[in-house]
Amino acid sequence: MERVKERAKVLEIKDLRVSFHTRRGVFKALRGVDLELYKGEVLGLAGESGSGKSTLGLAIMGLLPRNARVESGEVLLDGSKDVLKMLRDYGSRDVKFDPRKNEKLIKRLNKELREVRGRALAMVFQEPLTSLNPVLQVGYQIAEAVYYHDPMRLVRRAISRNRCTQADLRDLMTTLKTKGEEALIEEVEKRNLRGLEEQILSIWRRQDIHEAKKEKLILSLDKHKLDSKDRLGISIYLRGLQRVPVLGRLAKDALIKEGYRLAVEILTYLGIPHPEKVVRMYPHELSGGMRQRVVIGIAIVNNPEIVIMDEPTSALDVTIQAQILELVSSLKASSNRSFIFISHDLSVLAEVSDRIAIMYAGKIAEVGPVKVIFEEPQHPYTKMLMDAIPTMDKTELKAIPGSVPDMRSPPKGCSFSNRCPFVMPKCKEMEPPMVEVSEGHKVACFLVGERK
Amino acid sequence: MEERTEEGKYSNLILSLKVFFSNRTAVAGMVIFLAYVVDALIMQFDPRLLGVTNPNQFTYNFVNPVPQPPSSQYPLGTTYPGINLLQAILEAIRVDLGYSMLIVVGGAVIGAVVGILAAYVGGYLDELLMRFTDIFFSVPYLVLAIAVGFALGRSFTSMVIALIIVWWPIYARYTRSLTLSIKESVFVEAAKAAGASMVRIMFKHILPNTLPPVVVQISLDLGSVVGVFATLAFIGFIPNANTPELGYLASLGLNYVQSAPWTVIFPGLAITLFALSVNLMGDGLRDVIDPRRRS
Amino acid sequence: MISIKLWVYVLRRILILIPTLIGLTLLVFVLVHIQGNNLILAEYINPRLTGQARELEIQRLTQEFHLDQPVYVQYFYWLGQVLTGNLGYTNTPIYSGPVTTAITLFLPNTVVLSLFAALLIWLIGIPLGVFSAVNRDSPADQGIRVFSFTLYSMPIYLIAIALILLLGVYLNVLPFSGEVSPQMVAGLSWFRDGISYPTHVLLIDAILHGDYAVAWNAFLHLIMPSLTLALAVMAGIIRILRASMLEVLEQDYIRLARAKGVPERVVNNLHARRNAMLPVVTSFGYTVAGLLGGVVVVESVFDFPGIGYWTTQALLNNDIGGIMASTLLFGIVLVLTTLILDLVYAVVDPRIRY
Ligand SMILES: Nc1ncnc2c1ncn2[C@@H]1O[C@H](COP(=O)(O)OP(=O)(O)OP(=O)(O)O)[C@@H](O)[C@H]1O
Ligand SMILES: [Mg+2]
Repeated sequence: MERVKERAKVLEIKDLRVSFHTRRGVFKALRGVDLELYKGEVLGLAGESGSGKSTLGLAIMGLLPRNARVESGEVLLDGSKDVLKMLRDYGSRDVKFDPRKNEKLIKRLNKELREVRGRALAMVFQEPLTSLNPVLQVGYQIAEAVYYHDPMRLVRRAISRNRCTQADLRDLMTTLKTKGEEALIEEVEKRNLRGLEEQILSIWRRQDIHEAKKEKLILSLDKHKLDSKDRLGISIYLRGLQRVPVLGRLAKDALIKEGYRLAVEILTYLGIPHPEKVVRMYPHELSGGMRQRVVIGIAIVNNPEIVIMDEPTSALDVTIQAQILELVSSLKASSNRSFIFISHDLSVLAEVSDRIAIMYAGKIAEVGPVKVIFEEPQHPYTKMLMDAIPTMDKTELKAIPGSVPDMRSPPKGCSFSNRCPFVMPKCKEMEPPMVEVSEGHKVACFLVGERK
Repeated sequence: MEERTEEGKYSNLILSLKVFFSNRTAVAGMVIFLAYVVDALIMQFDPRLLGVTNPNQFTYNFVNPVPQPPSSQYPLGTTYPGINLLQAILEAIRVDLGYSMLIVVGGAVIGAVVGILAAYVGGYLDELLMRFTDIFFSVPYLVLAIAVGFALGRSFTSMVIALIIVWWPIYARYTRSLTLSIKESVFVEAAKAAGASMVRIMFKHILPNTLPPVVVQISLDLGSVVGVFATLAFIGFIPNANTPELGYLASLGLNYVQSAPWTVIFPGLAITLFALSVNLMGDGLRDVIDPRRRS
Repeated sequence: MISIKLWVYVLRRILILIPTLIGLTLLVFVLVHIQGNNLILAEYINPRLTGQARELEIQRLTQEFHLDQPVYVQYFYWLGQVLTGNLGYTNTPIYSGPVTTAITLFLPNTVVLSLFAALLIWLIGIPLGVFSAVNRDSPADQGIRVFSFTLYSMPIYLIAIALILLLGVYLNVLPFSGEVSPQMVAGLSWFRDGISYPTHVLLIDAILHGDYAVAWNAFLHLIMPSLTLALAVMAGIIRILRASMLEVLEQDYIRLARAKGVPERVVNNLHARRNAMLPVVTSFGYTVAGLLGGVVVVESVFDFPGIGYWTTQALLNNDIGGIMASTLLFGIVLVLTTLILDLVYAVVDPRIRY
């Protein structure tokens, strides 16, 4: 548990309050959320439908809709960059909220965050079936994410593959087999072939084929040379002419074409069969599970520091769900990235998370290391959630009696008080503060404060 | 989806009115539209109120036929041959409004019957009727109107018939698609299960539910029809009409348009303002019946 | 790239056309015969003939058009004539003679005019609609909305007159009558009796003959009619496009594009616009119909010698041959244009084909 503390915070959310202004009233979706995310961890976020999980994810990305008012709070990236400053400056002002003004700010925010989104911070949305653009090829949608953030990566890939010889590949293969991946990367640097290593490694790390086959594939990398149009496009790019109308088109085409190759690698990694065909397909030609994985591919293609996954497994059957969970674990292990994993399925969270936060009615009810949350839950709501998980011996799902409060006028005091079996008079008067009960384990409940 | 109780209907109506009246431009459109209607009614029943003796004919003035600019005597000026434009426009509104209403409502009724029949009966009849409407969509509507009107003889009556022939297929397709979606809905299924007859289901359940969208469409189409009607008259469909009609009125001044632009502009504006008002009103009404925009 | 599925789709679309085209010929035939044989006799009999001579002439015509046969037999005779390219005669002040010749004279002009208008719509209408939605509620958006709404409500002749008054009379920068200034073409070898050779489109013929001054003049004459047409049709497109663009901008995939860090310009012009064009495309049929209908009015207001001008001349001179031939022609042009546009878009938009 102490390990957690030592790690750097990559994301910090302080007292975030967001409300949605609609004709039917003002929905207070987030009502003071405090949360942090550490480097290299998976934070599971659970809660009933409507508790504000997706809103929290969108707020972190700065992708709130125009009717969302940021009343207060901060979202700090790497401890400094305040994502929502602009919206909060408007939302916290004591004037009548005008979505039109908010929209203007959102537009500016979109410009400001362009560099960050997709590169440092990525999100997989809850709706995989509608998240892909129906008129663009799958490969393009992946390639584009790289093209707009790291075009040089595509250039390097293309040029290094174009330049490398069979001898190079043989030497590199030997290095890889005898001395491992780090040595390969060094060797590639030495030969001035940067960009080749990721292509070799993506084949090398495949688990679906034999070593001999992998070797064959790696050694045939030099067969995929650039054609004259691509060479032209890339040289246009390298001369900085990509803003010139027609030339720019050529440059983009060439780089995107390389991006398709990268997309094939990503999709292979995600276990999609026949990825060379899939990249040329349109979303409606794909199954739900495939689309889900494409969306995940888009999120991870740039190796972002933080990935927010909003119910990434909801549309999938159990086997694919397991694959995705495995994927998250292996990504975490291999790249030291941080994840926020949203789900209302606690058994899923138990598998992937290092820590779990329980949300209720726009607030964090309890947060702590996964073991602690499962073994010694403190908040009555968490306890009831735990009881509701179907296990081997008691199969029927125990529903939690009562319903989520109307978020237009959340009750005074603790929002869970109307459903809580242990409710006390003061629960209806005051909001319980967050109390740290043990190392990294915080609970917002008077029962806990009482005992201390 | 349907609110069956009286109270539900009542509060639904209130909400509808609220949505409509909260849309300022739609209300403005309605006010202008009503002004046109009032003018038309006055011309029909008591033209003397507006100082007109015979609203069926232009009052020529061959003593001074050349168009005069607007003055205190002629607020909108005159057009060839010496017609008082303001008075002529007030007279003409009745004709344009009346004929356009006739066209749109006529087209809507024919189209609705065909559309509902096609969708409800389905099968070959549906296919046949839809191929039949395709034929009418295969000619640009203005050209079709010219051809039909010409074949029937160049008169106002044949122009009206021609435009009804042009317009009904639009409504046939529209009501067909509406009916198809309503047909699937719960309460029609329920009525069927309860053993209601086909005719009863069509008139009792389907027609009332296609009505609101069709009324919105009528409102929106009224603007286009007035324009097409006047355009046909403008290009000379009716020889020597001597009937107050806005397009024909505009064509009278065409030879003078460079020196007396008001002769064409004012009758044109009268049409534009009318079309604008029904379009605005139609947009407002569409918001009322569209549950997505309502919330 | 073009799959078998697409070819099947193309084939199916073409097959659907056949009943429509047959229906079109039926429609025209019915219109000609709706008043019995009167319209035909009126067209072909010299009104000055009387008595015996008139009877003889009627007999001759009855033979020629098989008027004594049942109506459905007449239809097949007529259809045979149409299919062999014999569309009868037209008799108008701007042209008298075989309909087929009239078509070769007038159709090219109309095609050029419509293409110009289509180009203007593409260059002005589409960007305005997108811009309006992207900057919704901004002053520019409000301006565009008022502009398109007003335009949408104006009868097309009023747009034409307004442009004539504004650009032709007050600013006096553009010509607004005919296809060329008469003094420019006086005595030209390739321009006789108001007809230019070889393509019958003055602009193109002038370029072919290297008469660039004439070409420029013809081009100036094209601007106002095509601008009128474009404005009239554009109004509807801007409205549809703005509405659908607003809807598309709310979609999840647009949010995903932003989450990827795609620049706003690309989000709007690629991710959103391609999707927002779908309703515009599905209404191509109406759009082209509106454009072709507009041609009739615009050509007659601007005295521009095309099919539309011929149609109005036929109308005003009670020329059934001209009216029916142009109805048929407009129908065929509309059907084919819609087909081509649909097919082009089916290649671009993967959702359309199935
Ligand atoms: N665009 C919006 N406009 C208005 N209200 C919204 C909007 N988005 C979310 N809300 C409201 O905000 C609250 C929180 O919604 P949110 O989507 O964050 O819940 P969630 O925890 O993700 O639920 P689920 O598990 O169903 O995905 C809900 O009450 C919802 O109705
Ligand atoms: Mg959610």
